[in-house]
This record gives sequence, C-alpha cells and structure tokens, in this order.
Amino acid sequence: MNKLLIKNGTVILPQKDRTIEADVLIDDGVIVQIEPGINDGKAEVINASGCLVGPGFINIHVHFREPGEEKKEDLLSGSRAAIKGGFTSVLCMPNTRPPIDSPLVISYLLSRAREIGLVNVFLTAAISLGLEGKAMTDVGLLKNAGAIALSDDGKCVKDSLLLYRLMTYSKYFHMPIILHEEDTDIAGEGQVNEGKMAFKMGYRSLPKVAEDSIIARDLVLAHSTEALVHFTHLSTAMSVKLIEWFQGQGVKVSSDVTPHHLLLDDQSILQYGNQAKVKPPLRDQTDIVALKEGIQRGVIKILASDHAPHTHEDKEGDFNEAAFGISNLEIAVPLYAKALIEDGIINWLDFWKLLSFNPAQFLGLIKKGSLETGMDADITILDPDTHHEVKVNEFVSKGRNCPFDGWQLKGWPVATIVNGKIMMRPS
Amino acid sequence: MEWKHKHLLGIDQLSGEEIKILLEKGNQYRNWLEQSPKKLTRLSGYYLINLFFEASTRTRVSFEMAGKLLGMEVVNFTNELSSLNKGESFRDTVRTLARMKADALVIRHRSSGIPLYISQFLPFHIINAGDGMREHPTQALLDLLTMKRDGIDFTRNTVAIIGDILHSRVARSLSIGLKKLGSQIIFSGPPTLIPKGIEVLEGQVIYPVEEAIRQANVVYLLRIQKERQEAGFFPSTKEYSHFFGLKENLKNTNNGRWKKIMHPGPVNRGLEIDSSLVEKESSLIEEQVSCGLAIRMAVLETLILGG
Ligand SMILES: [Zn+2]
Repeated sequence: MNKLLIKNGTVILPQKDRTIEADVLIDDGVIVQIEPGINDGKAEVINASGCLVGPGFINIHVHFREPGEEKKEDLLSGSRAAIKGGFTSVLCMPNTRPPIDSPLVISYLLSRAREIGLVNVFLTAAISLGLEGKAMTDVGLLKNAGAIALSDDGKCVKDSLLLYRLMTYSKYFHMPIILHEEDTDIAGEGQVNEGKMAFKMGYRSLPKVAEDSIIARDLVLAHSTEALVHFTHLSTAMSVKLIEWFQGQGVKVSSDVTPHHLLLDDQSILQYGNQAKVKPPLRDQTDIVALKEGIQRGVIKILASDHAPHTHEDKEGDFNEAAFGISNLEIAVPLYAKALIEDGIINWLDFWKLLSFNPAQFLGLIKKGSLETGMDADITILDPDTHHEVKVNEFVSKGRNCPFDGWQLKGWPVATIVNGKIMMRPS
Repeated sequence: MEWKHKHLLGIDQLSGEEIKILLEKGNQYRNWLEQSPKKLTRLSGYYLINLFFEASTRTRVSFEMAGKLLGMEVVNFTNELSSLNKGESFRDTVRTLARMKADALVIRHRSSGIPLYISQFLPFHIINAGDGMREHPTQALLDLLTMKRDGIDFTRNTVAIIGDILHSRVARSLSIGLKKLGSQIIFSGPPTLIPKGIEVLEGQVIYPVEEAIRQANVVYLLRIQKERQEAGFFPSTKEYSHFFGLKENLKNTNNGRWKKIMHPGPVNRGLEIDSSLVEKESSLIEEQVSCGLAIRMAVLETLILGG
C-alpha cells in the first residue's frame, strides 16, 4: 500500500500564508489532495487530530561527519536523528575528512544516502579546495555531481579576493554560498564570548567584532556581486543590524540562527561547561533579544541547527582543548518552539516558514517546503501540546554532546513522513 | 578618398567607411596572395621596424611578411635585443629608434596606451600590434576580412565572443569594429572574466554560454591564458573546458547550419575548443591567418601611401 491519509490535522500552508482544518492524501510519494473530509479505503490512515501538519522541516546546517569521522556520526545515525527530530531533509556541511570538494566524494555520499533512504540528504560542497581558503573548487562540476550549495563552514573564507571571485563565478551556476563568519585574526585562539565571564574564568575571548567585521565585508561583496549569499549561525546583535540595513538596500542575503544561540548565553558555560562550548560562542542577553527580534521582523529567514556531534573523548577534559559544537538535531524543533513560540515571538505558521518554506526556497528545492498537490510528500506532524524531558542518553545520534539534558520541552514532532513513507509514527 | 590617419593606434579612430576601405584593399591582397611569385615593389625603399616587447611570433612574422611582400626592408627588435634590459628608459629606447630614420613602426607592448604615447614624439607611422588590454586593430580588421570573405552580411550578423573578455584587447577591437559595421555582439563566459563596464562595447551579456552560442551565427573564442586560472578567475582548466569550451554539440544552429568558428590563435586545443572542431569546414581559424597577412599589407600601404 503506498497511499497515506493524514486525517483531522491543522494543515499548515506556508506558501499561502494560512492554516486550514483538512486532511492530506498522499499517493506514491506525492501529495495528491488537501481538503476536509477525504476518505480513501485503500489508504493507510494517520490520525493527526490536535496536531499541526506541515511540509517537512529542512535543516540547512548539519554535520554528519562521513567520510572520515564516523565515530562522531555517520549518514545512517545522522539520518535517524533527523527523522526523530522531525526533519525530512538535511544539508550536510563539507568539513568531513576528506572534505566534500570533489565530484567523487559527492557521488559516493549521495549513493550512500540513497542506500540508507531515510531522509533527503543534500550536500554542500567546499568553497575552497581542501577547505584551505586558497583556490576555488570546481563549482560547476560539483553542482553537476549533485552538490546544491557551497560552504567552507567551520572556517571563514579569509581571502577577500577568493570570495569576491567565487561570488561572481558561482552566480553562473546559481549556487548559493553559505558563510561561516569569523575573522580568524581577531578570533585567534578565542574560546568564549568576550566579556565578564571570559575574564572571570580566564578563558581566551572570541569577540563579537570577529563576526561583525566579516559580515560587514561580505555584505559589501554580496551587494557588489549580487550573489546568493547566506550567513549561517548568527550570534550577534550587530550582525542582525548590518544585515537588515543591507536588505533595506535591496541586497538579497539571508541568514540563520541555531537554537542554542537563542536559549543560552555565555553565563551558561558556568553551568554546562564544555557542553556549551560552540562556535560562534554563546553571546549575551542583548544578542539573544536582537536575534529574536531579527526573526520577528523577517531579517533572519531560516532556522538551522548546526548539529555538531562529537565523541565523548573530544568533548571531555580541559575546556580549552574540548571540541566546539552541540549535538541537537533530535531536539532542535522543540528548542525552537521554546525560544520562539512560548515567548510569543512568532506563531506556528511563521515557524513553518522558517523551518521549511524559506530553506526550500533558498536552496531551490522547488518540490519541497510547501503543502500543495504535486509536491513531494515530505511532511512533519507536530503536537504543540506534547511535553517531554530531553534525555541525551536516548539520542539516536552518536553525538551526546548536548547541554539541554533534562530540559522540559513542549511541542515535539510526532511523525516524520519522507517521500510518502512514514519514517516516524505517532505513538 | 584621402586617408587622413597617420597612425593605426586603434579601431576606435576609424569610421565604418574607413574600415570598409581597408577591408576592400585587404580583400584584393588576399586574392593576390594566391599567386606566385608574389613580390611587389609598391613600398620598396621604405623601412619597417617591428618592435615587440611581448612575445608573439605569429603577429610579428605576419607584419614582417606583409612588409617584405610589398618590397619593404624590415628590421625586428625583440625585447631581448632592445636595450631596455640595460637600464635604459623606455623613452630613451624609443628616441634612439627615432634616430634610425625608419618609416613605419609596428609596436606591441604590455602597457595599454604605449602606441599613443610614442606617436606623440616619433616621426614614423605607428601601427599598434597590441597594447596591454586596450586594442589590437589589425586583429580586428583581419577578423572582419575573414567574415566578409565568408560572405557574411555585417548588418545581419551576430557574433558571440566567448571567454576572457576582461583581459582581451582582441575582444575590444573586434567589438568596436563589428559595431561600426552594424553587427550585433554577444558576450559570454565565466562571469569573473566578463567585466563591469562591458556596456561600453554595446553588446549583450548572455548566460549561459550555450544560449549565447544559440543566438549567434559566428562564435568567436578568445584564448585562455593558463595564468588566469592561477590567478583564481576560474577553478580549473577541466571546469573551463566543460562549461565554457566549444564542443561538438554546441555548434549546430536551429536551422541545421553550422556556426562559423573563429579564434585569434594560437588555440589551446581542448580548452577553448574541442580539438576536432579546429579543422572543421565551419572553422575559419586557418583562414584568419591568411587574412592577417593581407590586411597588414593593406594597412602598411594605406598609411604610407595614403588612401
Ligand atoms: Zn557548522
């Protein structure tokens, strides 16, 4: 049976900017009907009453660590974590070992992902060969091999000329560029946000200006080249301000945030230690307020998560030596619900735009991100009233590096449907 | 008609009528080139100096032959021979040359504007054989002559110029010449090599290359210097040939006619163009060389003897 009927849910239609009470019928991986009172004797039925039914969530920033660091995560464990987290599509960053900078690595990973067949795995190719920041990769050949965006994530593209040329060149191939913004000279060995906490604890600081100054540079480059530029994991109030100003000048740049930058500040390091060590570092309350307002005003158009799984060994011990990153794919959605819905920053419809519609638009995934007949049947069902405690030791991700253990969160995904197949069922 | 230019510094200074005069004369010389023996005395007793600060065997030999076919005495100075290496200033070198009392000077230099500069204090007819990224007028004239001889009506002609427009004096001179004769121009290639300000050449920038080629009846491929890749304008020669090089499947027109293919040479086979296409009947690349000789004869004669 390949028909599926989702009954009695509140259906989110981000493309039409509204929600309706309706049923959704799926046939052979495609959405075929959306209206109230659908009956189909041949279809398997999912009861979604009391739940929100919307296009599948798309996470444009995850690290699945394959090839090379499968101890931290691999395509299978990462895909399972995505399903559990309500994500039907993920975009993997290229800082694997070797990095994703050749058509060969891309075809290998895509065929692995197809074999696994749990979620839609999309790949980002490196901007520079070996992520070394020196020479541009074969953008066109990488796109032909299946990459859909470019990024040197984990590193900043320091060479302004390289980035200027890349922005100019990549337009020919309509390849969006995702930028990790951090002036490496200013960042140096920085571990945490510059301020009282860093000073008190004696940690080297990574000032906000390291992010702000590079964002300013790249906004100017984006303005000049009209490239498809996206700033990932914003962390500062100034970043939001700069982006908003340039958007006002007609520059079509986009950006995303992570849930941890909305829920934790640098003081959290006192409580969570190494588990709260991330790049960019957790900032302070003024930044959190500015990021949320940026989301509310539509300056920040995408929610990603920067799912960065690490082994216990990489995360333990001396704070200065511990790896940067949080494993969060399974809980990103309720974390976002806590930061944005509970605080009344946005409603569920906007939530879906930020987590599905906008990412699909940005990546050019024309069959995803909306609930409409003819679209791919990638669907996330979310129960806005579910309460659960985060239990990191139940993660299916190999990464247990997560400061949110024991948090009570509300609004969990309860079903994940990918290409018409139920990958996670409502219990 | 009396010829009013002492020098040929660029195509920009010529009117459409003047270009046509040179093409007509070049056409006659091109026909005459088929004869043997071929020695004229029209310019005997005149001296031509070839001064090449930038290596180019092809253009230098073409000028040398053109002069000799017209009966001229030709002296070649290459960069190594010129005393620039001994610390003499460029201006002094040129002044020394001036004392040599030649009649015409063909000059190539890596700096844009050098021919104009020396024309201000040398008594010779100056012919620009390529100055930096600015002009290469005899290349444009030979390209136009090649098109004319192929039966192309300039007023119904669309030429797609593909590749490194940014650094190309050939693209500039050719576009200016084509516009003066009423042709349409399309530019395409890697966007890093299509400069801001290209509007001055009054062509249309069309992406992707496939579409640019589709709309043209002449495809003019520019030579890609390997150092452009090293400078980061495009990622690799593999990527360039795949996306911007001319391949068999791209050269058919809608109505089944083959596109004419041109290239200023020398060709990087397999980079700008598939090797198999260089010698196809639709390729005018070899004819361009012959037309180069003819047009340089026409230019020398016209400058020295007048129109
Ligand atoms: Zn990342």
